[in-house]
Amino acid sequence: MSSLRATVRNIFNEPGCAKNGSKPESERKKGCTKQLQPGGAAGGCAFDGAKIALQPFTDVAHLVHGPIACEGNSWDSRSAASSGSNLWRTAFTTDMNETDIVFGGEKRLYKAIKQIIDKYDPPAIFVYQTCVPAMIGDDIDAVCKAAAGKFGKPVIPVNSPGFVGSKNLGSKLAGEALLEHVIGTQEPDDTTAYDINLIGEYNLSGELWQIKPLFEELGIRILSCISGDGKYREVASSHRARAAMMVCSKSLINVARKMEERYEIPFFEGSFYGIQDSSDSLREIARLLVGRGAPDHLIERTESVIAREEARAWTAIEPYKARFNGKKVLLITGGVKSWSVVAALQEAGLELVGTSVKKSTKEDKDRIKQLMGQDAHMIEDMPPREMYRILKDAKADIMLSGGKSQFVALKTATPWLDINQERCHAYMGYVGMVKLVEEIDKSLSNPMWEQLRRPTPWNALARAMVKVRSQAIASISDEAIGETARRAKKICVCNTVDLGTIEDATCSHGLTSVEAVRQHTNEAGGCCSRRIENILRSPPAMFQAAE
Amino acid sequence: MAQSAEHVLDHFELFRGPEYQQMLAKKKAFENPRDPAEVERVKEWTKTLEYREKNFAREALTINPAKACQPLGAVFASVGFEGTLPFVHGSQGCVAYYRSHLSRHFKEPSSCVSSSMTEDAAVFGGLNNMVDGLANSYNMYKPKMIAVSTTCMAEVIGDDLNAFIKTSKEKGAVPADFDVPFAHTPAFVGSHITGYDNALKGILEHFWDGKAGTAPKLERKPNDKVNFIGGFDGYTVGNLREIKRILELMGVEYTILADNSEVFDTPTDGEFRMYDGGTTLDEAANAVHAKGTISMQQWSTEKTLPFIADHGQDVLAFNYPMGVSATDDFLMALSLLSGKGIPEELARERGRLVDAMTDSSAHIHGKKFAIYGDPDLCYGLAAFLLELGAEPIHVLSTNGNKAWEEKTKALLAGSTFGQDCNVYPGRDLWHMRSLLFTEPVDYLIGNTYGKYLERDTGTPLIRIGFPVFDRHHHHRSPVWGYQGGMNVLVKILDKIFDEIDKKTSLLGKTDYSFDIIR
Repeated sequence: MSSLRATVRNIFNEPGCAKNGSKPESERKKGCTKQLQPGGAAGGCAFDGAKIALQPFTDVAHLVHGPIACEGNSWDSRSAASSGSNLWRTAFTTDMNETDIVFGGEKRLYKAIKQIIDKYDPPAIFVYQTCVPAMIGDDIDAVCKAAAGKFGKPVIPVNSPGFVGSKNLGSKLAGEALLEHVIGTQEPDDTTAYDINLIGEYNLSGELWQIKPLFEELGIRILSCISGDGKYREVASSHRARAAMMVCSKSLINVARKMEERYEIPFFEGSFYGIQDSSDSLREIARLLVGRGAPDHLIERTESVIAREEARAWTAIEPYKARFNGKKVLLITGGVKSWSVVAALQEAGLELVGTSVKKSTKEDKDRIKQLMGQDAHMIEDMPPREMYRILKDAKADIMLSGGKSQFVALKTATPWLDINQERCHAYMGYVGMVKLVEEIDKSLSNPMWEQLRRPTPWNALARAMVKVRSQAIASISDEAIGETARRAKKICVCNTVDLGTIEDATCSHGLTSVEAVRQHTNEAGGCCSRRIENILRSPPAMFQAAE
Repeated sequence: MAQSAEHVLDHFELFRGPEYQQMLAKKKAFENPRDPAEVERVKEWTKTLEYREKNFAREALTINPAKACQPLGAVFASVGFEGTLPFVHGSQGCVAYYRSHLSRHFKEPSSCVSSSMTEDAAVFGGLNNMVDGLANSYNMYKPKMIAVSTTCMAEVIGDDLNAFIKTSKEKGAVPADFDVPFAHTPAFVGSHITGYDNALKGILEHFWDGKAGTAPKLERKPNDKVNFIGGFDGYTVGNLREIKRILELMGVEYTILADNSEVFDTPTDGEFRMYDGGTTLDEAANAVHAKGTISMQQWSTEKTLPFIADHGQDVLAFNYPMGVSATDDFLMALSLLSGKGIPEELARERGRLVDAMTDSSAHIHGKKFAIYGDPDLCYGLAAFLLELGAEPIHVLSTNGNKAWEEKTKALLAGSTFGQDCNVYPGRDLWHMRSLLFTEPVDYLIGNTYGKYLERDTGTPLIRIGFPVFDRHHHHRSPVWGYQGGMNVLVKILDKIFDEIDKKTSLLGKTDYSFDIIR
């Protein structure tokens, strides 16, 4: 465990992380994220973070060493698209039982590794440590080393048991495992001056593929994507890339920085969320590659691709701008998306009423200020209650967030769109931006929201009835609602006269008899007299029930 | 590969064996078939706009009609009364059809007799058949009431049911005070929903207006009760039970007219129930005193409702209310009519349906639908789809009339999601086929017969309607009320997700989107 502790400390000293670097020594030891508060709701654990970061390697067998809890709850829960192998989706676990906990699970782990190799013969096996075996002292590093020696196959220990900390820390620990055991262990068949790495890109819903054709058009080759649609061999030989793009700003920063340190691969932090960001990222990649020896014309070619793609996207988005006029958005998400999505939404003509910066770095925040102005409403840590309040007060027409906050939005009858990992649509790149705008439009225009924001019709009707009787028109706050309900209620079976008409006639002409109402409303049928009498007489019982 | 006792094959497996395949191939050769290329060419041509124009110019021929005949509806309504034997005056073959049709849908026995008219009856009139038939069925099946309707045969020769029944009673076929209501239900007029309407009106008329001159007319003494009529409905079992629950929650005193929810869902416990549940004859008579009557299907009660209104009641017709707004309207009307409030329990159910809609809206929003079925069902479904943000494109009802067309058009015109939709009254499923080829949609909603359209056009079928023969037990779950709305929503969503899975399941090709979480 001591080596794990050292690794964790090492991560907390990450010089690539501006936020950590600015902290005093004493605070830095406490870790990146805020200490979890016992009794409060919290996000995923370090194991989860490690698995999220590595599982998109598609040809690797991901073996979770632990009781059923860890793999049982996380099996195939992220839709990272694969262009080939399905192995990454297969759930492998040692499914430890009571006996293993008493006698230790190392032998079981070793056998499990052997059986995976016998049955599947994958290019590598990643073994994930979890709380229980870590606590009873199973040494997965030793087991992996022994197995690798015996079977002549990479068996990589991913030492990130849940209890060491947050999901984000787990992703970094997964990065450490790659740096220590994988990257630089194989050589690529050939290299080009256009080879890049994408780090922290997971190809969720196939997002990477929305960008890839542009790279291919420019002749840029993705030597390794860590880890979306990645293969073991690609990451193992990724040290030969000429440049790298750090896609998700915080989760694998240690990988990008250490690869720069060890293999002199320059990197930049960028995003493909939003039109401007996509263009900036393409430009930066071209610049870095040219700096490492690629021909100068790459920059010109990149500019022409950017110009074409931007024009296309703008044309596609243009029709929405009018529809979005005056619509406000609340953005609750983590990290990089907070600023890159801000830009994207502004491009579509939406107004941002706030964005969360809980997981954002200082740089993220600076970028937000640039985009939204100095007085940008940045929400450090928004408890659901506060979120509820903002939405309930109708400060936002739509909320964009991860699945966790979905229910707050829905309970306040606010349209909501998922922009985190469990979403069904890919929003990256120029194409993705158009998709996002289309999805926002669909959400905003869904007829259900109108329905949801109205009180139940019987309450609306009861209120409308108060209005007619008391004549205290001003006291009714939501006149239109009552009006709609009144107009919608047909009194006569022939469906020609509605309640509102009859009430209005009763009220404005002081009518007291059925005959008089008929004259004033053209209500002609013979079957409705009782209903009109009722309206003239007393409020129906449902009105009392609604009080 | 003939059958072996160890491993007996079902028919869909068995005939794939080589010996049978050979047999079928020989048959084909023997038939001297047309050039397959020519067959293919014509097949493709039937998918074109040119063909669609010819198809829609069709006048005399109906191909694959989405409707059934009047007496089927009459039988459906009649069995909803206590101890009532439907007696169809006409040929026995027709009656066998109604019984099998209802049995295949509800998976229940369906009891119904006919006067078994034959050629001589067709020439000389069916009086003797009526007399003997009533006597036999009264003695054999011990009903409390015999509800008479007719097939075409009796209608073409103009048999006078009123006189025949009177004569039968005089001849002692059934006791003079035995209830024998009747309705003329020729198949060459209207459809099964018309038959439902006629039969129900006939029964109410019998009890309320002096039992064909044998008793004094009832004098209406208004009380607080509400009558409820479901109309012809494939979901009658689930729907009527749900409606009873709602009425009881609200504390409304009610009479369900033609309550066939029990007889189409009898328990298997060793006892055969030829009759079960149903509106009692006393209730049917006393229904005249009710405050008002609500019909869930305007076009199933076009004659019955005005008849009831003429007796001094408030009447109100809905169009198969489904979903939030339509159920709101229904409950509001119920509340206004009965003076009873809407309890919190129903408000919560409403909230749950809205919640479910918001959880899943992204998948339904903007999807294009074709709908066919009975006019009220089509209207109700279209309204619910609009509420969900789906886009109805074709709404077709073989037994829909001009008034239905106009009302449905008005509904669609009132929503941005209904702008691209056309309404087709009096059209059949062969028309629908042309529509699906020339203006494709994402999903088709209809009855079992839609499976041929699904196979032909590749449009996934969501089975909602009557009859549904090839899926079991859906009639037990309601589609009315907020909970019913939930069932419809789930039905639609299940199909949508099944389709996504189907489209993404190809190993190594499309399975990059074969996801666990949708």
